[in-house]
Amino acid sequence: MSDKGKHTLKPRMWVEQHGNYLLNYAIVRVNDREKAEDLVQETFLAGLKAKDKFQGKSSERTWLISILKRKIIDTYRKQYSSKVSSMAEYEQDITDGDFYRTQGPFKGHWLEGKGPHSKSLLPEGEIEQGELREIIRWCIENLPPNLAAAFIMKMIDEADSDEICKELGITSSNLWVMLHRARLKMRTCLESKWLK
Amino acid sequence: MLKRMTNSIMVFMSKFMIACDEASFLISYKQDNRLGFAKWMRLKMHLLSCHLCRKYALQIKQLDSTVSEYRESAHHEPCHHHLSGKACDKMKQAVEEGVNAK
Repeated sequence: MSDKGKHTLKPRMWVEQHGNYLLNYAIVRVNDREKAEDLVQETFLAGLKAKDKFQGKSSERTWLISILKRKIIDTYRKQYSSKVSSMAEYEQDITDGDFYRTQGPFKGHWLEGKGPHSKSLLPEGEIEQGELREIIRWCIENLPPNLAAAFIMKMIDEADSDEICKELGITSSNLWVMLHRARLKMRTCLESKWLK
Repeated sequence: MLKRMTNSIMVFMSKFMIACDEASFLISYKQDNRLGFAKWMRLKMHLLSCHLCRKYALQIKQLDSTVSEYRESAHHEPCHHHLSGKACDKMKQAVEEGVNAK
């Protein structure tokens, strides 16, 4: 490939050209503006250090995003490992007893009021898209960190499940249970927003 | 004889009977995986008799598609958030220092 077709790095222009883009990318995934800003800055600095490794095959922005992605995964991993040192602890985070009856002839059935109320999670009629976005963000933010990490990697990053398991150091059956619990929580959170 | 037959039918059926906790897990599992025959059968049997889990299944589908839309909108409107002037200056300074340190 000739040098002409290659992409080049212009670090002095990074903040100007990619700052907002990276910030938005990070906010959707870490749900915390301050942390997102820190991650963006770390990405730029890591980019500077790794400048010589840039081969010009992808655009500058794609390259920066790939660094940011690694940083985001690292924060998930930190959140995850600071919160849970064992599966037993993660079991305490949210238990089946929060949603289902744990004894009696109807063991395993929905607890009163914990099951779905209507067929639709969203209110009838038009919802303002900005409002819906805010509510989804708020609900993800309120997930326990380990569930949020699994949910975001699967649903927002659309990462491969093997990759998620590897990153979080869990088995695939752990992952399906975590995603199930994240969905239980998300469902409850969204529904409670509309039930007045 | 008849009693024994009903009994064994009941035992057979109970293998397929699950409660809401397992059914809702399978509903979520189904979003990301293919259900094998036995699991699919158990879920179907449960849904026939449980209106709450039928609603749950609909809501979970809706949840996943709403989150997908959220993800797409975040990609398509990438500048929903902006760096504050202060953060911008801080970063520019940090990058500048990094460049000069080379």
